[in-house]
Amino acid sequence: MFDKRVTVLVGHFGSGKTEIALNLAMDLASRGLPVTMADLDVVKPYFRTRSARGLLTESGIELLAPDGSNLHADLPIIVPQIRSHLRRSDRKLIIDVGGDDVGARVLGSLSDVVPVAETECFLVVNFRRPSTPDPRSAAAMVRQIEAVGRLPVTGLISNTHLLDETTLEIVVEGLQSARKTAELLDIPVVAAAASEVLADELRTVIDEPVLALRRIVMPPFDMPKHRAAGPLFVVN
Amino acid sequence: MTKKLMKGSEAIGEAAVQAGCHLFFGYPITPQNEIPEYMSMRLPQVGGTFVQAESEVAASNMLYGAAGSGERVMTSSSSPGISLMAEAISYLAGAELPVVIVNIMRGGPGLGGILPSQSDYFQATKGTAHGDFRLLVLAPWSVQEAANLVQDAFDLADYYRNPVLILGDGLIGQMMEPVEFADSREPIKVLPPKTWAATGHNGSKPRSVINSLFLDPEELERHNFHLKEKYDRMERDEVRYEAHGLDTDYDVLIVAYGTVARVCLTALEELAEEGVKVAMVRPVSLFPYPSAAVREAAAGAKAVLVVELSMGQMIEDVRLAVGRSKPIHFLNRVGGMLISPDAVIDKIRAIEDGSSEEVRHA
Repeated sequence: MFDKRVTVLVGHFGSGKTEIALNLAMDLASRGLPVTMADLDVVKPYFRTRSARGLLTESGIELLAPDGSNLHADLPIIVPQIRSHLRRSDRKLIIDVGGDDVGARVLGSLSDVVPVAETECFLVVNFRRPSTPDPRSAAAMVRQIEAVGRLPVTGLISNTHLLDETTLEIVVEGLQSARKTAELLDIPVVAAAASEVLADELRTVIDEPVLALRRIVMPPFDMPKHRAAGPLFVVN
Repeated sequence: MTKKLMKGSEAIGEAAVQAGCHLFFGYPITPQNEIPEYMSMRLPQVGGTFVQAESEVAASNMLYGAAGSGERVMTSSSSPGISLMAEAISYLAGAELPVVIVNIMRGGPGLGGILPSQSDYFQATKGTAHGDFRLLVLAPWSVQEAANLVQDAFDLADYYRNPVLILGDGLIGQMMEPVEFADSREPIKVLPPKTWAATGHNGSKPRSVINSLFLDPEELERHNFHLKEKYDRMERDEVRYEAHGLDTDYDVLIVAYGTVARVCLTALEELAEEGVKVAMVRPVSLFPYPSAAVREAAAGAKAVLVVELSMGQMIEDVRLAVGRSKPIHFLNRVGGMLISPDAVIDKIRAIEDGSSEEVRHA
C-alpha cells in the first residue's frame, strides 16, 4: 500500500480524500521520502489541499496547486507541472482528486500521461455521507469515477466517521460496508482510516491496515493550536 | 434516522425537502452551489421540480409565481445573488408570499471574494430592498441548527405569510458536521389552510389575487399598517437567542452570531479555565433582534464585546439595546479572513487591562 510511485485518491464529495491525502503525505515525508502533492480539486471551494501550503512546505512537501491570487479562486485551474510530474519524476506523487465523477473528470484529462503500471488509485468512502449510504451506491460511484477518470480503482480506503461523534462501532460498521463493496468490485480494502484516538483499539479488532489520522482540515473554532486568523481551514 | 455527516449546504437542502418543499429555483454562485446541486439530485426523487433559472432575477420571480400557488418553495444564493433578487423579495413581502430564502454570505462589497463573511447583516435585517418591509432572519451556527432552522423557517413563512431568510456565513454552507433528522416533525405553528393561494377559481370561491400593486393610497396605507402589525407580532413572538455563562458573574459580555459565536465559545471556555469570566448572548433571530436579552445580559457586565466578520454592522443593534450604559468594544476580520479563538482571548484581555479602545459614539 502506498508503495507505487503515484497514489491517486478519488471518492465521493466529502468522503475525506483531502484529510487522508494530507496525512499520507506528512507521514511519508516524515520518513524521509521526497513527496509531491497535487491538488486536482475543482469541486469544493474551501477546505482544499492548497489551504495547507504552509504546513506542507514546513514538512518539505512540494505542492502543485493554484497559487497567488488564484489560491482562493473557484476556477477549474489545473497547474501544468502536474503533467510533467506524472510523466517522469523521482518523487512520490499523491494526487487529491475533487469529489464525485465531476471531480474525476479532471483526472480523465490527464489519462495520456498517467503511468498506469506505476499508479495505485484508491476510493475513499464514508458510509455516513448521504451519497453513499450502502455498498451498492459506493460500487456505482466507483464505476462512474473509473469511467470519467479513465483509471481503474485498485482499492478502497474505509473512512466512515462522524467527526467528533465517531465511535469504534461506527468505524467497524463502515468497514463492513467497505468489505461488501470490495467484494462487489473484486478489489481489496487496502486500509481503514480512524482518528488517532480510535486507531489503536481499531487495530485490535480488524485485520486490515489502519491509517491513524491526525485531524488537519478543520474550521477555526476547532483548531487546537497555531490559530492563525487567515483564511485557513487547516492547522497551519 | 441514522446520523449522517453532511455539508451545511446538503443539510439545508435535505431539511427543505423534509419540510415539504418540492420546488426550488436558483442560479449558481459560490459558496452555496451545493444547495442547488443537492436539490437538483433530490427533488426528482420526491416528485418535485428543480429549475436552474437564467439568473437570480428570474429565479426569484419564479419563486414568486410558485409561492402564489401555496406550495412550499425555496431559493438560495450568496451575497451578490441576493442583491439581484432584492426587487422580487420586496414583491414577495408586499404580496405576502411565504418563501424561504437562503443567503450563504461571501465577502463584499461588489463581487468581493468567495470566502466566509457576515457583511450582509444590514441587507438582511434592515435594507434588503425598497418599501416598508421586514424579513424574518434566522442565523445558524452549526450544520444541525441550519437544518432545524430551515424547517422552522417554512412554518414561520406560512404562519406570517412573509419571506424568511436563513443567513449563514460561508462556513455554514461548506463545513461538514453530523446531522440527524427526526423521523417525523410537527409544525411549530398552527397553520391555517392557504385559502389565499391562486389554485384555480372553479366559479365556486372568490378569486385569489397575488399582487403587490396598490394604486389606491388609502388601501396601500392600510396594507402597510397590516404588514407592520405582522412585524410587531414577530418582534413579540419570534425572538430567538442562546445564552452562555450568564448564570455566574462575568466582566465582559460577548455578542456574536453564526460560526463566529462558536469561535467565541471556544475562547470563552478557555478563559473560564483561567478564571476569566466572560458570558455570551448569541442572537439566532437577527430580525427580530434579541434586544431585551442583550440589554439584560449587558447590565451584569462591565463591558460588551461585539465580534463579527463585517465592519461593525451589528454594533448598531447592540447599541440600540444597551444605549450608553456600557462601553462597547469591537473585534472583526473581513474579506474572508477569519477570527481565531486566540484573537478573541487577546481582545478580552485587552478589555480587562484597559488597552482596548471602546467604539466611539456618534
